[in-house]
Amino acid sequence: MASYQDAIDRLVAGNRVYAQRTAERDPNAFSELSKGQAPEVLWIGCADSRVPETTICGCRPGDLFVHRNIANSVQGDDINAASVVEYAVTHLKVKKVVVCGHTKCGGAAASLGDADLGVMLNTWLHPIRELRRTHKSELDRLPDDDARALRVAELNVQQSLDVLKQHPAIKKAVNDRGLSLHGVIYDIGHGQLRLLDDAGVKKANGLWAAPN
Amino acid sequence: MSDKETKKYLQQSHDKIFESNKKWAEEMKTKNPEFFDKLSEGQAPDYLWIGCSDSRIPAEAITGLGPGEMFIHRNIANLVCNTDLNVMSVVNYAVRHLKVKHIIVCGHYGCGGVKAAMTPQDLGLLNPWLRNIRDVYRLHEQELDGITDEAERYDRLVELNVVEQCRNVIKTAAIQQAYKRDGFPIVHGWVFGFRDGLLKDLKIDFEKMLGEIQKIYNLAD
Ligand SMILES: [Zn+2]
Ligand SMILES: [Zn+2]
Repeated sequence: MASYQDAIDRLVAGNRVYAQRTAERDPNAFSELSKGQAPEVLWIGCADSRVPETTICGCRPGDLFVHRNIANSVQGDDINAASVVEYAVTHLKVKKVVVCGHTKCGGAAASLGDADLGVMLNTWLHPIRELRRTHKSELDRLPDDDARALRVAELNVQQSLDVLKQHPAIKKAVNDRGLSLHGVIYDIGHGQLRLLDDAGVKKANGLWAAPN
Repeated sequence: MSDKETKKYLQQSHDKIFESNKKWAEEMKTKNPEFFDKLSEGQAPDYLWIGCSDSRIPAEAITGLGPGEMFIHRNIANLVCNTDLNVMSVVNYAVRHLKVKHIIVCGHYGCGGVKAAMTPQDLGLLNPWLRNIRDVYRLHEQELDGITDEAERYDRLVELNVVEQCRNVIKTAAIQQAYKRDGFPIVHGWVFGFRDGLLKDLKIDFEKMLGEIQKIYNLAD
């Protein structure tokens, strides 16, 4: 049992270092944080341990409001994600919503087949597996399963964005105050984020192209 | 701000994320050229973290962990609801497929979700989600009513909410069956405090809690 406790001690020690360093760098850091949060971005990402949003974006505590689930999937009947969106958009008034998929996503890879993952995961992954069916000919042309999983991850980000666009808080905030939605893919093998073109926007960097 | 200024401002903050991501990736590669290749091979995290969506509590940053070490679910007020397919899928995958050793449910003092839940106000779409916190209050009504200081009462509600969510994790078939077979995962309840940036262990006695729960919720026989 010793090793189990070691794993927990490691987190406790890591936390102590974090608290100490943060206070050394800025003695007011924690009193500022305790006043409240005003994040600019709602991040919806995969639960995958290799995509820790704050670390990979070089962000600080307070920057990103976060929801993470299996395969960064937003589903119309899911009250969990819908509540996060409602809170972030209506109450915190975030300016951007980012859905982040990634390469080597276990959820996307599992969606390439129909292996029985238990009724819970089968149900959760169903909308992603449907993407495989609706995009069969496109996926069939790709060279290997890695490429297919990546394409499914991209399509899944797009699908999640489409569901988000139907959320009443998002509809309202897009109209009233220019809230914007973005899809990105994180490349685990290179550590880099890549912006996905929005379907309706042709320019690279899509919504962020400066007005002419 | 004019429309144009707003767009420019947003453009800058957006570019900043991509820029600092690039910088981070380069730094990691310089430090360890195989860093990303290794991660590419797969994940084998020891921990599942169930925490609040609150932007001030990035799990990996406050525990000093790197990419690949902690599987993470975050929602409003770190709730584990029995009928929520979202969190249940996460628990299921983490326990049955990744075989995590520890599950940490982490709340935090000053939680906006907990506060909102106890506000006598119709919050629309948030009502059903936040009602779970009122249920926690009802389960511990006597204790909480006995705390006269409001801030202290909220702090205690945050703690009790974590304890109840630990119970909900333990109610699942995935945990009960895995623990019976492997002797893990172990469920922990923690609370993060902004005053000092430290995690407080609520010292949940996992085995005792499991035993109590299985009196009614046993799914492991
Ligand atoms: Zn994933
Ligand atoms: Zn919170």
